[in-house]
Amino acid sequence: MNSRAKQTTLLFYKECLLRVLVHIQEHLDEPLALEELGRLAFFSPHHFHHVFTGMLGESLGSHVRRLRLERAAWRLKLTRTPVVQIAFEAGYDSHEAFSRAFRKGFAMSPVQFRRRHGAMARIQIPSGVHYQERKRLRSFRPTEIEDENMNVAIKNLKPARVAFMRHNGPYQDVGKTWEQFMMCLGKDGLLGGSPQFIGICHDDPAVTPREKVRYDACITVNQQFRAHGDIGVQLVAGGDYAVLTHFGPYEKLGGSYARLLGQWLPRSGRRLRATPCLEIYFNSPENTEPEDLITDIHAPLETR
Amino acid sequence: MTTKLDLYKMHKAEYAAPTKPALVRTKPALYLTIAGQGAPGGSRFTAGVAALYGAAFTIKMTRKVAGKQDYAVCKLEGLWFFGGEPDATPKEEWQWKLMMRTPHFIAQEDLRTAVDTLLKRGKSPGIAEVKLETIDEGVCVQMLHVGPYESESATVALMRSFAESNGLKLSGPHHEIYLSDPRRVPPERLKTILRQPAIKRNS
Repeated sequence: MNSRAKQTTLLFYKECLLRVLVHIQEHLDEPLALEELGRLAFFSPHHFHHVFTGMLGESLGSHVRRLRLERAAWRLKLTRTPVVQIAFEAGYDSHEAFSRAFRKGFAMSPVQFRRRHGAMARIQIPSGVHYQERKRLRSFRPTEIEDENMNVAIKNLKPARVAFMRHNGPYQDVGKTWEQFMMCLGKDGLLGGSPQFIGICHDDPAVTPREKVRYDACITVNQQFRAHGDIGVQLVAGGDYAVLTHFGPYEKLGGSYARLLGQWLPRSGRRLRATPCLEIYFNSPENTEPEDLITDIHAPLETR
Repeated sequence: MTTKLDLYKMHKAEYAAPTKPALVRTKPALYLTIAGQGAPGGSRFTAGVAALYGAAFTIKMTRKVAGKQDYAVCKLEGLWFFGGEPDATPKEEWQWKLMMRTPHFIAQEDLRTAVDTLLKRGKSPGIAEVKLETIDEGVCVQMLHVGPYESESATVALMRSFAESNGLKLSGPHHEIYLSDPRRVPPERLKTILRQPAIKRNS
């Protein structure tokens, strides 16, 4: 692919996120619906948060908290509003909690900041996105690829027929669903013949309430397999996928997702498809140390 | 819920992975095994690995459904018979026995049931060749090898001279315990425990 096409894609992703960033700044006091943000960015809710975190270098939650702190700093400077009131407007329910967060960002207390001449109402961030008191946000710097050796392969998968068990609840607990599922399939001889172990993440555990996260534990099966009890059958979408191997504990998958979707993807010349990401597991936490776990993260791409 | 039995943790001393050769005393241990010939990673080898995993998981899950003692399936191990120096023998002629350590309470009956179940599914060729057997290696020289399998001869040379300086000589087949997955881990980072039985030099 030529570099102009890649530039166009990067521009496309930047513009998508810029719409979201402007929207966030205009609605800093409202609860932000992920669907709404995803719609503004043209991303499906499956992918939005990973793209955001990867491109901005901070999660949506930290982004909003940082902007509210910067706005509070402006208000300390420009108004005589009492600190407690400003703390409340920034989303803190006590002066202490606000002071703690404020110190972390500005290295001084809100009162010191109010008195200090020339103190900047900005917390350093590589993206260069700050709370805009007067004008509209025009641009930002997408995070550079931090790991030059990041090895992303594009693979074309055939659709896969899988048996699956749905997990509803915290992502940390999917292991229990896997055990139950493996037991049901194992006693029937369905773990023979090297099946693939696939996870489908319908929701992003970083932004969906814990108890509402939906995840499917999947094992490839042949045409003869029939759904029964808690075990369903589905077809995992085929097509092009960008694949990044994640080495290490499952709790750190989020960082790899962000690097794949927020750093590699915008520079790849490819666009995301609105189907969920897949995880393909090569080993099991039951006999592998967390740092030796191997997971291939698959991000679905539109066909060129 | 009873705790899950982990054989590697239980026999920690036998799975020591020193960066210099060391002596380990192993006790007789039960394994699921499958024997064959051919290059590592070749089609027969891959089918052997699949058969072994199929048997191991089917036995484990069948017992678990019946409420019996749960345990962790162990890592893949292999014995290698080169018929001379490995570098001088074509890989296609290498004989191997792939193995997976199994708790002592697994019986031939458990294996037979699992094989029958898998054969009924008709997608596990070679499953009937899986055996359950006890292997006794006694005193062994052991060392962690980090890097591609092709560069093992240097590590084996260290193990051999260590044995000699201890009045021993290496005997019995070369044993590998695979700690890493070669499908994704780059060759230079592969970790493998090398083990080889040793006997007194003058015996």
